[in-house]
Amino acid sequence: MILRGWRRYWFTPETAEYLALIRLVCYGLLFLIYLPLDDRGWTQVSRVFWMPISAFRILSGPPRDPALIGILQILWKVSLLTSALGLVSRCSMALAAALGFFLLGLPNCFGKIHHIDGFPVLLLLVLALSRASDALSLDRAWRPKRKPNTGPSAGYGSPVRLAQTLFLLVFFAAGVSKLRNGGLAWMTADNMRAIWLGELFTHTPPTALGAWLSKPAWLSQFAAVATVLVELSALPALFVRRLRVLTLVGLLVMQVFIALMLGVYFTPHLVGYALFLPWERYYSRSAAARRSPRHRCAPRLRRRAHGPPRPAGECG
Amino acid sequence: MEGQKNSFRWRLASLAIVGLLAAAGFDIVTGLEHWPFGSYPMYSLLYPQQLSWLRLYGVTNRGEILLRGERDFAPFDEARLTVALERLARAPGGDQKLDQALRNLMRLHGRLEARRSPAGPPLRALRLYAVRWVLRPGFEGSESPQERTLVAEVTDEAGR
Repeated sequence: MILRGWRRYWFTPETAEYLALIRLVCYGLLFLIYLPLDDRGWTQVSRVFWMPISAFRILSGPPRDPALIGILQILWKVSLLTSALGLVSRCSMALAAALGFFLLGLPNCFGKIHHIDGFPVLLLLVLALSRASDALSLDRAWRPKRKPNTGPSAGYGSPVRLAQTLFLLVFFAAGVSKLRNGGLAWMTADNMRAIWLGELFTHTPPTALGAWLSKPAWLSQFAAVATVLVELSALPALFVRRLRVLTLVGLLVMQVFIALMLGVYFTPHLVGYALFLPWERYYSRSAAARRSPRHRCAPRLRRRAHGPPRPAGECG
Repeated sequence: MEGQKNSFRWRLASLAIVGLLAAAGFDIVTGLEHWPFGSYPMYSLLYPQQLSWLRLYGVTNRGEILLRGERDFAPFDEARLTVALERLARAPGGDQKLDQALRNLMRLHGRLEARRSPAGPPLRALRLYAVRWVLRPGFEGSESPQERTLVAEVTDEAGR
């Protein structure tokens, strides 16, 4: 029973296109999001600030060569792009994961872990271990003789399922932390208001929304309770499809408000939300539209309802 | 043969999934941080109505000016810089470490300032203050701290 449930949850067969579209979207988005990333400045920061985390403890100190960091950054960004395109895919995806770990982890070794880049690093790891380049890749187009078996397979579904699970666990963890560290008192209007007002002094929010929304107590109270509930709902949302939609919308709205009110931008999490969109459906719709000239004309025919209809096949 | 291969793959994939979930679950349950996993404790504490924070002020010929993380001390942002300075202050030999840190921040600021056009006035000293506000609805973030205590200060090595 448990084994069957496990198989159904993780190993429902999907097509190669399903995973390939996720590859394209995720690497493409990460490339755009991290294009402005520049870690070279950390080479100028004193060793006294060096407080390594995770695997960075094996380093003897902070990197000191800005040229080396610059080269690694270029390599990483190129690898994100080539991974999206499916060019030298295996190598590109492995490089994107390894360099992503280093470049996104490095700033966290200078005093504080920001929880913005953890998920993208995990996503890069999951995709690097997957067969995401079996379809819709330049490798496949240029070496058609080496066709892998691209029929529906569990291997195409489980990486996406795992990435979705890790993404929602991020929020569940945040909800659990609030209850563990703050208890039920975290969900009071006073606490929420103190967060909103405090961030006006400690961060640079793009709007004065925090100051404005902190005035009515009921709004702070509502936001505090809603935050914890939405975050905790991320765990059941893994299993209940209808709840998942509500939870994801709730989380996205919450992160938009965090950006506007607190000036903390979870932009890399956009890639997590993208994992849940039906890219295959969009792709087959657009592919069908490209294949069928009649289909392509249909909207125009509808718009020309008051005029004479065009002959079939004529798009104008 | 094919069945055996599939079964091996299935087990390997299951092992990878269990491994990643166990790592994520461990941090959630224990509240520890093993980046890129973590317990995501941001904003999870109880926030008092009294805000205490560290702020850096530069001393110029025209007096003290407030300096902010990303604008004046890139690549640091305000949150990371403040937490790092707090950790250094609490660490053994904190005074000496803070002194080293502030000297480095002064150099970072100098480099950034040199690239700006027009460049701001040069810093003669850098001061770290512990500042405090009692938060009230209606605050806009521009209010001066109600209390300020000097924690550390470094002066320009060139003695300007």
